[in-house]
Amino acid sequence: MTKLVNRKMTFNTKYRQLLEFVVEAIIRISGYSAVVFVGLIFLFLMQESLPTFGEIQARDLWSQRWYPIENYFGVLPLLSGSLIITLGAALIAIPFGLMTAIFIAEIAPLWLREILKPLVEILGGVPSVVLGFLGITVLAPLVREELYLPTGLTAFTGAVLLAGMAIPTIVSVAEDALDAVPKAYRDAALALGATRWQTIWRVTLPAARSGVLTATMLGIGRAIGETMTVMMVTGNAPQMVSGLGSLFISLRTMTATIAAEMGEVANGSLHYHVLFSIGLILFLISLTVNIAASAVLFRARKRTERLLS
Amino acid sequence: MSDEITFQIEQLNFYYGNTQALRDVTLTVLPREITALIGPSGCGKSTFLRCLNRMNDTITDTRISGSIVLNGQNIYAPNIDETELRRQVGLVFQRPNPFPQSIFDNVAFGPRVLGIAYGNDLQELVVQSLRAAALWDEIKEDLKQPALSLSLGQQQRLCIARVLAVTPDVILMDEPCSALDPIATNQIEELIQELKEHYTIVIVTHNMQQAARVSDKTGFFWLGELIEFDETTTIFTRPSLQQTEDYVTGRFG
Ligand SMILES: Nc1ncnc2c1ncn2[C@@H]1O[C@H](COP(=O)(O)OP(=O)(O)OP(=O)(O)O)[C@@H](O)[C@H]1O
Ligand SMILES: [Mg+2]
Repeated sequence: MTKLVNRKMTFNTKYRQLLEFVVEAIIRISGYSAVVFVGLIFLFLMQESLPTFGEIQARDLWSQRWYPIENYFGVLPLLSGSLIITLGAALIAIPFGLMTAIFIAEIAPLWLREILKPLVEILGGVPSVVLGFLGITVLAPLVREELYLPTGLTAFTGAVLLAGMAIPTIVSVAEDALDAVPKAYRDAALALGATRWQTIWRVTLPAARSGVLTATMLGIGRAIGETMTVMMVTGNAPQMVSGLGSLFISLRTMTATIAAEMGEVANGSLHYHVLFSIGLILFLISLTVNIAASAVLFRARKRTERLLS
Repeated sequence: MSDEITFQIEQLNFYYGNTQALRDVTLTVLPREITALIGPSGCGKSTFLRCLNRMNDTITDTRISGSIVLNGQNIYAPNIDETELRRQVGLVFQRPNPFPQSIFDNVAFGPRVLGIAYGNDLQELVVQSLRAAALWDEIKEDLKQPALSLSLGQQQRLCIARVLAVTPDVILMDEPCSALDPIATNQIEELIQELKEHYTIVIVTHNMQQAARVSDKTGFFWLGELIEFDETTTIFTRPSLQQTEDYVTGRFG
């Protein structure tokens, strides 16, 4: 009897060691390959964009006129266009998204909550082309008529639609974070004579702040990278941004430029390389945003660990 | 006469949905006395306590009948401001629940939301509250440290300080020591004795010795009813009901 058990154990141990080894190898490879892919993408972007600088000066790129047919490759209009549209989207999406999350998590009665939560998640799954289509047929005419503009295809229209895409992400992640705040905090605040709003503002929201921060970062991250919607509704005129007023003219973003022009350029031409440089700039921007976000989150987590240890 | 009574509770019934949690509870709480509430789990002690500062209002689908009069005012009357009521009637929870903020901000929370103290007055109020909660000497070096870094016993005293800072008349305590070790429990019990000089206290406890040690009056809850209420010494030496005697002597079951 004992022998039998022992032999079985040995077999078992070997088998388990092998399994352990295989699983660990697979996980390791997956982990490293993510890093390798990002590295490869970066190298590829570098390789395709560096020739730009052999032909034109960095100064030419850093200028205000984008007119590739006559060899004007100033990316500033595109860069500023992307930034202001993202900024506009953030200005709309963050307050609106957070308020919606607060409403769903803290104020809405249970039955309404159970309708709203899945609804928001469905909204998040609407393909951006569909939103762009709605933008062209419904929002753009509305913007033109209500704001007395010559065209409804403006940066503002794009910002509103991008906000529409960011909001479901923000709502759903922030709502989860608010929901995870222990009820004991809320009870303590109410029992001290705080109103419901004071409780939300001074206790629940601060306690959920790292989750709320993640929510806004993810939402804005989605907006920065979005191409389709923006290409359909912003008018795509590569004009220079001069303040928040530029929200109400036609603008063009970096993503839209790449998507629109990449199909038409000759492989290896200067225009081709410049488009890759724009891609490189986009890559660096999103890398910076992500590093900043995880640095903030890391600090928050460290603090929590210290407190809970 | 009524100004010598803090709480006058009459024919109180309370329902969660269709289940009745309290049945015809009638009880008088006198000022500067410690009233202990005992009874088996699920008999409605916490529910009763939450009726006294209307924290049950935050639970949906509940119903209440009967009357609770605090210093001559029916607290369920339509013109009552429940935030002001909760300032007057503080609640200390079973598990210490300081906010994930600094010690100072925890104690200053109540005065800030109620708008009752600012600037130097607020500083002074925080210090006094921490002193009164017997926590000051242990944490006076660093009021900025996070409340969650304190020990559980210190956290519970911080929660008491937080309640004291809004200058209540009555302090309700729902098993305030059940998450604490014997030493921390002892400290809280001593604190309760000191607080008795200035506050009316209603405490729920599962610890018979604690009830016997700290309280003046004791009420025994049984299946949602207050079946016996008397001087603590009477309850623990010659209760009138067999159930009470079985319960306080631990022969229950
Ligand atoms: N939020 C709630 N919703 C529905 N029923 C509840 C709720 N809280 C308590 N009850 C029910 O009301 C009854 C009394 O509960 P309560 O918490 O007041 O008892 P308790 O005497 O404090 O018990 P314990 O000693 O375990 O704390 C129990 O049957 C409980 O299931
Ligand atoms: Mg209880």
